[in-house]
Amino acid sequence: MVKLERQRYILFKIIKDTSIFCEKKDFLNLIWRSIWRYFGMKEANKIGLWLFKLNLEEEIGIIRCSNKTKEVIISALTLIREINGKRIILSPVKTSGTIKGLKKIRIK
Amino acid sequence: MSYFESRLRVNFENPSEIKKKLDFCERLGIKNIILEPKNNIRNISISLKKEIENLTNINLFYRITLRPSGLNELKKIIKDYNNFTDILSVETPDKDAQLYAAKDSRVDLISFSTQTILKTLTPGVISLAKQNSSFIEFSLAPIMVSNKSIQSKIFRNLYRFTRLVRSLKANYIISGNFKELFDFRHPRALISICYSLLEFPLVDAKKAFKDNPRILLKKVQERQNSDFIDTGVKLIKGVK
Repeated sequence: MVKLERQRYILFKIIKDTSIFCEKKDFLNLIWRSIWRYFGMKEANKIGLWLFKLNLEEEIGIIRCSNKTKEVIISALTLIREINGKRIILSPVKTSGTIKGLKKIRIK
Repeated sequence: MSYFESRLRVNFENPSEIKKKLDFCERLGIKNIILEPKNNIRNISISLKKEIENLTNINLFYRITLRPSGLNELKKIIKDYNNFTDILSVETPDKDAQLYAAKDSRVDLISFSTQTILKTLTPGVISLAKQNSSFIEFSLAPIMVSNKSIQSKIFRNLYRFTRLVRSLKANYIISGNFKELFDFRHPRALISICYSLLEFPLVDAKKAFKDNPRILLKKVQERQNSDFIDTGVKLIKGVK
């Protein structure tokens, strides 16, 4: 029997060298490029990526993906090294099945 | 205890550099780090350890890496490390020295961190390391390159040799060993890379970053006990 696809929300920290100005669209493109580079179409079609929240001032972001591709997304985020020529780290902090679960986490 | 960054190279004579790196690791959320001196320090004094531990809240552990060019050099320098209090690792491209290190009970870890050294890994070394309950170390630092063809070759080599070690059921750990500050990654993120790109089962990947470094540290601690003879062999006093 085919099971219904479940979702995962990944909270990630943005660690940057200098201030970065970038739109949500550029950020999403960056993540897609990383997915394509390391995993190709075989994994990309299963992901169901959605950039739920991006706050460069608070240095956090939340993305949504399917539960089976959680590790793929974390790897893709980890392997991103720069945005617009500036060094950046996207470090996953917490994964949850609901957005409510992530809201409980406070980043110090 | 949570995940380990099993290798962070720092200059022990430069406290500001150590502080900078440790603060960055704290920002990433790393809880346990094994520090290795960049400069040729033979032994890390207790006062120096305390000084470094005052800089951070991270759990710190220490290791020394010997880099002999050949077997004779290894035999000569390893004499100073009887009953060593920290982790002792050997990193060498010389196959004879690797075999000797794998047999020697003073050596806790045989490191295959760079690509040139990784290619010299043989089943013989793995088997001897397994018999001696020492660990094989891989590093994920080389994957942080922009060139796609070089990166795919690095992934290929890592895939090939980690698979070999896993198939022979030897003990292994995986470290970050990143040089640049912005290449540092949290061990949990590195587990995902091992799982999705190096085809590790998730349990094995977690073991390489969590359980195995803990076992390694326990082994080093046990060595300090005078009643300890070998792994699983201990003198029990006062029992008739």
